[in-house]
Amino acid sequence: MATRKERLTFTFKRFRGFLKQFGRNRLGTLGVFIVVFFVCLAIMAPLLTSYDPIRPSVGMDEYPALTGGRKIAESLCVPAWYKSIPWIPKGRFSIEERFYSILEVYYGKEWQIFGREGQVNATDTSLRLTQRVASIANITATAPDSTARTLDPTEWEQTPSRLNEIVVKDFFPNGTTYAVEYFTGTDITENMELASDPTFASEAALNAWTNQTNRPDIVAVQYNSEKGYVTKLSKESGCIEISFDPHGATIENVEVTLSVPFQYPYYQPPKSFLVHYAAMFEASSPGATLTILFSKETQTGPEEYILVRKELLPSNIYDLVPTTSTQKEVIDNVGVNPATNKIFAAPGQYAFSIRISFQNLNQTAKVYLDNLNSVLYGNAFGLLGTDNAEPYPRDLFSSLVYGARVSLFIGIVSALLSTAIGLFLGLASGYIGGIFDEGIMRFADLLLVLPTLPLFIVLIMALRQFGAVSMWNIIIIITFFGWMSFARSVRSMVLSLRERSFIEAARAAGAGKLHIISRHILPNVFSLVYVTLATAVPGAIVLEASLSFLGLGDPRIASWGKTLFDFESSGIAVTKGLTDYWFWMFPACICIAFLAAAFILIGYSLDEILNPKLRERV
Amino acid sequence: MGLKKYIVKRVIYMIVLIWAIITVNFLIFSMLPGNPLERYVASLRRIDEIRYNELKAHFGLDKPLHEQYIVSLRNMLTFNFGISFNSGTQVSETIFSRKMPNTLLLLGLESILSIIVGMLLGVLVAYKRGGILDTGTVTFSLTMYSVPIFFIGWLVIFFFAVNLGWFPAGGTVPLEWGRYPPTNFLQIIIGRLSYIALPTLTLFLFSFGGWVLLTRACVLETITEDYVVTARAKGLKERTVLYKHVLKNASLPLITNVALSFAFVVSGATITETLFSYDGIGLLTFSAIMNNDLPVLYALFYVLALCVVAANFIADLLYGVIDPRIRYG
Repeated sequence: MATRKERLTFTFKRFRGFLKQFGRNRLGTLGVFIVVFFVCLAIMAPLLTSYDPIRPSVGMDEYPALTGGRKIAESLCVPAWYKSIPWIPKGRFSIEERFYSILEVYYGKEWQIFGREGQVNATDTSLRLTQRVASIANITATAPDSTARTLDPTEWEQTPSRLNEIVVKDFFPNGTTYAVEYFTGTDITENMELASDPTFASEAALNAWTNQTNRPDIVAVQYNSEKGYVTKLSKESGCIEISFDPHGATIENVEVTLSVPFQYPYYQPPKSFLVHYAAMFEASSPGATLTILFSKETQTGPEEYILVRKELLPSNIYDLVPTTSTQKEVIDNVGVNPATNKIFAAPGQYAFSIRISFQNLNQTAKVYLDNLNSVLYGNAFGLLGTDNAEPYPRDLFSSLVYGARVSLFIGIVSALLSTAIGLFLGLASGYIGGIFDEGIMRFADLLLVLPTLPLFIVLIMALRQFGAVSMWNIIIIITFFGWMSFARSVRSMVLSLRERSFIEAARAAGAGKLHIISRHILPNVFSLVYVTLATAVPGAIVLEASLSFLGLGDPRIASWGKTLFDFESSGIAVTKGLTDYWFWMFPACICIAFLAAAFILIGYSLDEILNPKLRERV
Repeated sequence: MGLKKYIVKRVIYMIVLIWAIITVNFLIFSMLPGNPLERYVASLRRIDEIRYNELKAHFGLDKPLHEQYIVSLRNMLTFNFGISFNSGTQVSETIFSRKMPNTLLLLGLESILSIIVGMLLGVLVAYKRGGILDTGTVTFSLTMYSVPIFFIGWLVIFFFAVNLGWFPAGGTVPLEWGRYPPTNFLQIIIGRLSYIALPTLTLFLFSFGGWVLLTRACVLETITEDYVVTARAKGLKERTVLYKHVLKNASLPLITNVALSFAFVVSGATITETLFSYDGIGLLTFSAIMNNDLPVLYALFYVLALCVVAANFIADLLYGVIDPRIRYG
């Protein structure tokens, strides 16, 4: 009898020999590397990404009016690294578009109808350009007798509410063609945070903000360390206090504007704006208005774009207002300087301001401002962009990273369980035989005949009727229908082993059934176990992905299949094509394929090493 | 054991299987804790009283459980699947006259293609074992085997429908056929083929790797047998040895696999049809999932399982005819 130490040394030696052999197998080593990579990805998921994969948000406590924080980015953002790819259009472009016109008499009045050159019917009453105009359009009209002339800027104007519409004021002969030359900007824009609470309401911040007022004798801006809005984050933060003291007189209009300048670096306007603030107005009668706006200095004076305009009512509690709006909404709401519409049309110096105006007040009043947050949402985000989930678009990179956890977990656990069950039942039915064997094998036959995916669909749909779909249920289902073929091969192996002479010798020596199974049969079957394990994992991974792809996964966990289901059900593939949103679908598909292939490669090379039949042939 | 006895045995086995399938279906829908079917039907009451009553009567939900089981057996055997709650149509009519022919066409085309190509390639690769072609094909097959089918489908759409524009990306028949039904036979064939091409290609890429690997393994098993050496020693041409002596004997396990692969392909077809919005059983399954249409799913699983059982039965019969060991063994 060998001592314990000798046996250990022997096992160690054998294991080293196996590793050596495995290391020589290139495909197997590659498989191991891929699996290790994904395991690292899964383990380090919280380090690699800070966003929740299902419902990501930022600053739960910084945005008291947005329960659950603000969204991390706009929906359908492209990856942020697009900005360093040379062939993706960025910057300023000159575009020329051509139109032709028809003069029509309509209710006794002449109308000029414009059509796009090359089309049959003229439908628009204005020149509708395909891109927004970033800067000066140059319009050349060519009359039918081919006399061309460039229109004076007074002869046309841009439609106030639209960025891509030009109205020609004068009438030209029927059949005139117009060539419009204009600049447009497209760019990859990223999120910009203009103001965030921890930096807004403090003494240091007050110095960074410039305040302008038309009556410095009446209003004063200072830092108040006591009256702050109480958030979970900071029990008693300070706030900005604007005090108004008219000294008894009624003064018509007093304005105070706090503003912070910022550089807008992109040629493309942001996709949307978010403004959030808390304001309190202490006074005896109403008469104050709060306005939040962007402004830009031009030759003709400041241009202003108003995001929020709100009448403040006297109260002792803070009024919380979150506002999100798109570019178009801002321009529609402004009503100020409507002719230009050039908000963030090009890089430049802008100012973000908050303005309080007091009207017809004759008593002292105070306005407290706190929790001012403002974000410009761009069209690019993160490593892999975002999906279209509303109201909280997801970061696709974090979906991918967290998905690795789900796939690996479901794959490995259900493979382990089903292999264990298969091993147990195979051993039992092979060694016990008789009616037990017959029963198990017929049951396995029945399960083998049933088409797997439809069966799983039916099972999960049945579970869904009372909301019992969870990751563990999916694991149980995959396990329950995954043990049969392995049980069969174990059984047939046991049947042939049982008749061997070494088993007979063991039996003659008085060994019990359990001893024979565990000491003599199991070691012989075990090489099969490793191979089956390695090949059962990819099956489970792909199956889980397929189920999730069909919308049958657990909606509370971020799996790769769920990402693909979201992609498929969004209809993006049909409406916009795969190329524009490849980053939504492609990485998850590649990950599933690589992980599954890695396990198959491992299984294949294990088979080559452990299966004596294959070894002989080499 | 004679062939007749073998067939009788298989028929009995098939009947038992069908019974078992109906029972499994019943177990899932009516015996699972929480009773999904009853819960589902009860949830319809507020929406549509008439259909609620109709479905309740159809499944015999007011009767005790053992009678429900009898009702279910009778319904299934007579293909009386009741109505779909969402569309209000007869489920059996939807499945058999509208969806089934499309799916069978797709699966038939795909199976023929992948079996022929897979087997030929498998034999070739096994014969030149260890060469570049062998390694390449095995790697490709393993890759295809592990790539999920929706990925293959999207790539196929991307290359052949979007980039090259050779085939339409989705649908079953040209849209204009709804208004102007085609009269020309050739036109029908071309129209249908152009729409079925990409789903078939997807399923083909998905399943032919399995065929290559299996054929390769079977051929490798027989190529070292003594009678192959004898055949070569007789001076037979290498091709004759390969296709007459090796493939013929190696094809026995392949035939059983035709049946088993049918179940595999049915799973793939569900996803492929969803991807290409090809109007067959798979798309019906997907829309039933989306609309939570339990009666349709109840019927679908049964019908698909029946198809698989039938395929198994046919394979068994073929096996009995081809393999002399079964007749005289």
